[in-house]
Amino acid sequence: MAQAPEAAYSKADGARGFSDVTYGDIDHEVLRLLQPPGRKYWYGVAFLVALVVVAGTAWLRQIYMGLGVTGLTMPSMWAVYIADFVFWVGIAHSGTLISAILYLFRTRWRTAVYRAAEAMTVFAVITAGLFPLIHLGRVWFFYWLFPYPNERWLQPDFRSPLVWDTFAVSTYLTVSTTFLLMGMVPDVAAAREASTGWRRKLYAVFSLGWQGTEEQWRHFSMVYLLLAGLATPLVLSVHSVVSFDFAMAQVPGWHSTIFPPYFVAGAIFSGVAMVVTLLIPIRRWLKLERLLTPWHFDNLAKVILLTSLIITYAYAVEAFLAWYSGNVFERTTFYMRYFGPYGVLAWIMVACNCVGPLFLFSPRIRTNMPALFIISIGVNIGMWLERFVIIAGSLTTNFVPSQWGFYRPSITEILITLGSFGWFLMWFTLFSRHMPVISMTEIKEGIAWHRKALEREDAKAA
Amino acid sequence: MSEQVRIVGTFADEEQCAEAIEHLRHLKLGKVEAFVPFPSERVNEAMELKRSPVRWWVLGGGITGVISGFALTVGTSYTYPHHVGGKSLSSIPPYVIIAFELMILFGALSGVIGFLIHNRFPRFEPLPSYSPRFAGDRFGVVVSCELAQAERAEATLKESGAEEVHRESV
Repeated sequence: MAQAPEAAYSKADGARGFSDVTYGDIDHEVLRLLQPPGRKYWYGVAFLVALVVVAGTAWLRQIYMGLGVTGLTMPSMWAVYIADFVFWVGIAHSGTLISAILYLFRTRWRTAVYRAAEAMTVFAVITAGLFPLIHLGRVWFFYWLFPYPNERWLQPDFRSPLVWDTFAVSTYLTVSTTFLLMGMVPDVAAAREASTGWRRKLYAVFSLGWQGTEEQWRHFSMVYLLLAGLATPLVLSVHSVVSFDFAMAQVPGWHSTIFPPYFVAGAIFSGVAMVVTLLIPIRRWLKLERLLTPWHFDNLAKVILLTSLIITYAYAVEAFLAWYSGNVFERTTFYMRYFGPYGVLAWIMVACNCVGPLFLFSPRIRTNMPALFIISIGVNIGMWLERFVIIAGSLTTNFVPSQWGFYRPSITEILITLGSFGWFLMWFTLFSRHMPVISMTEIKEGIAWHRKALEREDAKAA
Repeated sequence: MSEQVRIVGTFADEEQCAEAIEHLRHLKLGKVEAFVPFPSERVNEAMELKRSPVRWWVLGGGITGVISGFALTVGTSYTYPHHVGGKSLSSIPPYVIIAFELMILFGALSGVIGFLIHNRFPRFEPLPSYSPRFAGDRFGVVVSCELAQAERAEATLKESGAEEVHRESV
């Protein structure tokens, strides 16, 4: 890894971003990624496709044999699949945070990383959306979740959190895909001008015929701003609705009013960690050191640190409320969470989510790529475990000890979980070499802004 | 009416491009258009365009979404009545979630439709005077004017710092 940029990093450089880069450099740096990739890349894609095929086979077998091939049994009828669902929806959220919320706040460091984060959002939602289907016993009836007039007098119950989930997640998928495609239009037009053959045709379709007139920009800026404005409350609502899947039930450990903010913070925490986990290797493999500077990672690390502190606070409040309530069921559930059958997992979760990120208080660690990579991988593991201990852990030791049980994931569930990582990474890998993974127009806009800011500074100094 | 021409000036600098637009608009030689590689506030100011009407599409879509959300949920409750312990057939608080999601969905989609309609997208023929460089690192200013005014327009573009100026017949 090129150590020079890290070594040369200082606060002043951070404020200046990449002000020495020209517009032409940006096009050159980003468009070279759209050249046909080499053999190593396709080996990687083939490996990921193999993971997906294995998982697909496991799913087919599950459809044929029934849910008995999973480890699901009373009292734990929700476990790994639902943990995977919540995990992937959570991963999606940071993309919208970085692309929409930070856009509304006019945060300058988002420009280089937001496209990758936004693409990650779409692919994570596609992955998440599979899990409720995988978890269905009779998946061929999945369309019963949608309301449509029928002769069986069957209608979804709009009071059920599972139906809210259908609406929230499918809206989220549609809006985040629209937002991604919309935002890419000017960049894809630039790619169209630089390419030939079938790629040129593909980019011509995705660019819709964009030519960059002031008139087109006027409509574009307005629709982009409003989509960001719509995506912001949407992202907060989606994970709140996902948390309602639990909070609306009466199971101790689930039935809690702090769930919506706690889950939203956790989603952003795990999502930003995933952005960092993906961008550190991409930056090295695709040689993007000039565009993805330590300044960007420093800021991403600060978001991880902040959300980690919120999560730590939520863990503490949850445990405190269980004790303070005096309710024997709540107390037992939380005692069992940390000292029961899944206690080891809960402590790994605390180590990864609460202790690991504390190192990010050090500015040197925030810009040290290997350290940041290890911490972010830890957060991903910790956040997956959090969902697992909340979902399976709370169910296995609920109200009456006579119905307590122990859940162990079967090989089917493990293969499908691994396959979901293959599926997600496959889409992301394909995207990163076929579409502009870094926004050229926004970086150019950022540079123009930086230049003006520097001119103002110089004028003041003079 | 005398012969019309288009004068195209290419700029490397945002500020010079904006100044050229201001001068040309002041001289009132003809219609001025600009090609920019990124949304430039400066060029936007110089063009003095009104705010995009796409926002009304989003508003309309959002309102339609809220109404549809409540219509769907309340309507379903009464079309497929399911009495539970004498409770009312429809309950508003959970329906707010559906209405909210549909507001976002319809608002976003109708915004995109508005964007496509106002720009006449998709369009697969390049606009006249477009150059691929305008998607990269160059700014373009196009003046559509009468032949008699062409020289004045060219001179203005050059004075403002255009790298290259050329004339296209219409």
